[in-house]
Amino acid sequence: MRRRTYLDRQRRAGLLFVLPALAYFSLVFLVPLVESVIASFYRTVPGGASRFVGLRLYEKVLTDSTFWQSVRNTLTLLAWSAPATIVLALIVALGLHRLVSLRWRSVWGAMYFLPFSVSLVAAALIWQWIYDPVYGLLNYLLSLVGIPPQKWLQSLDQVLPALAVTNIWVRLGFDTMVFLAGLQSIPGEYYEAAEIDGATRWQCLRRLTLPLLNPQILMLSILELIFNFKIFDQVYATTQGGPAGASQTVIMLLYDTAFKYFRLGEASVMAVFVFATLLAVTLVQWRFLRRPVEY
Amino acid sequence: MRRLTWSHLTLPALILTLALIPGAPVAQTKKLVYWTHWEQNPDFNKWYAERGREFAKKTGYEVEVVTVPYQGYEAKYLAALIGKSGAPDFFNGIAHQWCGQYDFCDPMPADLARLWDESIPRYMVPIGKWKGVRYGTPIEHGNFQQMYLNADLFKKAGLNPDRPPKTLDEWLSAMKKLTSGDGASGVVGFAIRHKGHPVGITDKFLPFAHAFGARMLSPDLEKATGFANSAEMATALQFFVDLVQRDKVASLALGGPEDAFGQKRAAVIFRESWFFGWLRKNAPDVTFKVAALPCGKACPGAGALFPWTNLVYKNSPNKQVAWEFIRSISNAKDDLAQHESAGILPVWTANLESAYVKSRPDYASTQEMLKQPVPPTYFHPKSNELATAFGEAVVNALYGKGQPKPLLDEAAAKMDKILKD
Amino acid sequence: MRRPPPLGRWLVVALVTAGALVVFFPLFWMAVTSLKTPPELQRVPLRLEPDRWTNLDNYREVFARQPFGRFLFNSALVASVSALSSALVSSLAGYGFAKFHFPGRQLFFFAIVGILMVPFQSVVVPLYLWVSRFGLLDTYLGILAPDLVSVFGVFLMRQAIEVVPSDYIHAARIDGAGELAIFWRVILPTVRPAVATLVIIKFMWTWNELFWPLVVVNSPPMKVVTLGLVSFTNMYFIEYNLVTAAAVLSILPILSIFLLGQKWIVRAVVMSGLKG
Repeated sequence: MRRRTYLDRQRRAGLLFVLPALAYFSLVFLVPLVESVIASFYRTVPGGASRFVGLRLYEKVLTDSTFWQSVRNTLTLLAWSAPATIVLALIVALGLHRLVSLRWRSVWGAMYFLPFSVSLVAAALIWQWIYDPVYGLLNYLLSLVGIPPQKWLQSLDQVLPALAVTNIWVRLGFDTMVFLAGLQSIPGEYYEAAEIDGATRWQCLRRLTLPLLNPQILMLSILELIFNFKIFDQVYATTQGGPAGASQTVIMLLYDTAFKYFRLGEASVMAVFVFATLLAVTLVQWRFLRRPVEY
Repeated sequence: MRRLTWSHLTLPALILTLALIPGAPVAQTKKLVYWTHWEQNPDFNKWYAERGREFAKKTGYEVEVVTVPYQGYEAKYLAALIGKSGAPDFFNGIAHQWCGQYDFCDPMPADLARLWDESIPRYMVPIGKWKGVRYGTPIEHGNFQQMYLNADLFKKAGLNPDRPPKTLDEWLSAMKKLTSGDGASGVVGFAIRHKGHPVGITDKFLPFAHAFGARMLSPDLEKATGFANSAEMATALQFFVDLVQRDKVASLALGGPEDAFGQKRAAVIFRESWFFGWLRKNAPDVTFKVAALPCGKACPGAGALFPWTNLVYKNSPNKQVAWEFIRSISNAKDDLAQHESAGILPVWTANLESAYVKSRPDYASTQEMLKQPVPPTYFHPKSNELATAFGEAVVNALYGKGQPKPLLDEAAAKMDKILKD
Repeated sequence: MRRPPPLGRWLVVALVTAGALVVFFPLFWMAVTSLKTPPELQRVPLRLEPDRWTNLDNYREVFARQPFGRFLFNSALVASVSALSSALVSSLAGYGFAKFHFPGRQLFFFAIVGILMVPFQSVVVPLYLWVSRFGLLDTYLGILAPDLVSVFGVFLMRQAIEVVPSDYIHAARIDGAGELAIFWRVILPTVRPAVATLVIIKFMWTWNELFWPLVVVNSPPMKVVTLGLVSFTNMYFIEYNLVTAAAVLSILPILSIFLLGQKWIVRAVVMSGLKG
């Protein structure tokens, strides 16, 4: 009997602790989200009124080739940026971890982290400036080594890789930091034991470091997926989806649909699509990548 | 580890208290709120506030100008106009969108509407109207493209900058003479717009379309097929594409066309009247002349895809006062003063011969373009979406992603779907 | 760990340094650009260095056109409140999710994490309606509305508190401490490094927020730094010399905070472990 009241008290205390966050998120995000889902069943008619149309807008958006093209662009951009960011961050973190001097480790760490503190719009504008085909820094540097000027953001083939470099630049520091923390929390004895067993450094990395970094890899792959799938500011500030639609991403299209074309219903359908896709992929990632880690 | 004590909380508490202080001081006078996204014209915007102070002496209402960053302004406008509270009393917008697609605008009092109809150039009369009713006061004259040419480059190519090409054929042969490279090295004749949103691309292509006698939509704005993909339109687009691909007098290797012109990498650009202010500031060493656009079958004339006007918000409790304020500045003198302060062309016909306008380098060319027949306009609630679909075809053709005619067919079908939907 | 041979060690140092310089260079380039005049920017071929290294005209112009000092103050205020309130509420929730069993725990947690997946553009209109209903348009609280608690923070604090041994909590309970007291005296001090990380990261995020402040702020005295920054771009052109100057100004405070708090971040992330 006493034990049950203790448990009850625990339950109540737990709920009370999460209540402020829950209440806040419900008010600020869940209610608008529900409203947005409801809006996906209505279409706005000229004059501003709206009319219930059932699943018509879903049918319209999901059969629209422009929409699927934007999904393809988004996925391509994601494929260019997310794995590269994570792998580079891992390499940088391993390198930083090797630095014996703690002071240098934090100074170089800070350098890598700095771009994270630049707002996305500013970062995008700086990079657009660097990429400019005529007076940009990048083509200037290439010309010094005799490479002809490239069109970067104005090229059908180069625009997504070029935007991906911007993304990697912005995100690298954050990911590195997370890996560095993970590396630093791996007890040194593990490596000593491996050394005694005669493991090579490559074996150490594959058999020991990578599995122990699994939680970080999982978390970062989820965060990178979300960040890159929802990419907007960088594209809006630079290419506006161009050239010839080559960098039109889902959220760009969503923004235009809602605020340039005044089609809030269609935009809501796209929002539901993004949300559902991310949720499904994240759950799959969670299931397949999550392994318990014991130190 | 130090214990957390209450003294540690003083700073957060202080910050929290600060945050709760309302930011803007509570206004003593009543005010009219005006929203604009014309960040490029701060003096033009400030002028409303200045005139508002005089207006306040009579009515007690001042004018507060809110300049909204262009980056994302549509979202802010829409949220506020739907939300009613926090919305402006009057704002800078496009009538067929805010009054046509949505029902956010208050119709202009009849006498004031008549005054405007009688006082502005002919081509501007439909601007600010929706279904025959006047909602907005046009605020931008000269929002049509003219030909800016680099006089030095013209002379170097053996052309006379004072006798600019009048027809598209003359223009093309001049472009060829001017071109000595792809812009990255050497000079190109024409600085073409190929970047940015498809709506902007449409805007820059339309003068060519109109010169070929084509139009994007039927005169009643209800049909695209047969217009957006007409034979004339396909010829116009082919001409446009050929500038880049066959004649090589324009280049996709350049960045923004304005910069290319400013850097003397391009000899000619089609731009609106604001451009000469930009040139003076950013490329002071470019000697330029302004001329009317070349004509083909027809003349491109003075037309605008973005007819900016001042609109009064229907749900504003102060809409009567807003109209009174607009009335108080609806005269030739104020029109001239405001536009002159920003270095842009005034709107009222009476000012087109003012000393200020005559002193501008685009005086003669503006006169000439105003004499041409008014080109087609596309003041449709869905103009953004339609122009996007059309611009995609143009830019896809420019980038060689297809032939003009099939791309236009596809665009026309898409536009018809948009029109019906 | 096996000490790499000296040559290998130098190689690692060289690579890490080279990488850091590459990453840092765009920021340096931004700072250089902010010292140039518009005609200098248009110059071809490009000259790396500005004509005058001491040309601060762009900075003067930034302050002349906008009350940029006020913007910096607003951003600092908003970002501080957002960071502190996030830290507090996220820690509470993280503690609840990490150490208590109650019905709906998993569901609530995933519901919160799911918010990360909502495109903000799609909730902006409903959120605006909420904020205006509460009369918070054009106020600091209005700017703060979506940033008072951080989803990432809840996630991070749950991870950090999970590894705090439950024995500490039990011991405190046996001593008769109340639940809030346990949170305050036992949990928070233990995860202080994670809290510091969250404070710093959330500060940066809010500092760099653009879209929401744009929607909710009207009057110039309420504008934040990012709004000042984009005001040097408009529908026709970008004033790169001014944008870069404004960007440098907007980074400097963050940079100083980062350099001051850097030790904390590294240590914090280390100690919180970010274990999954």
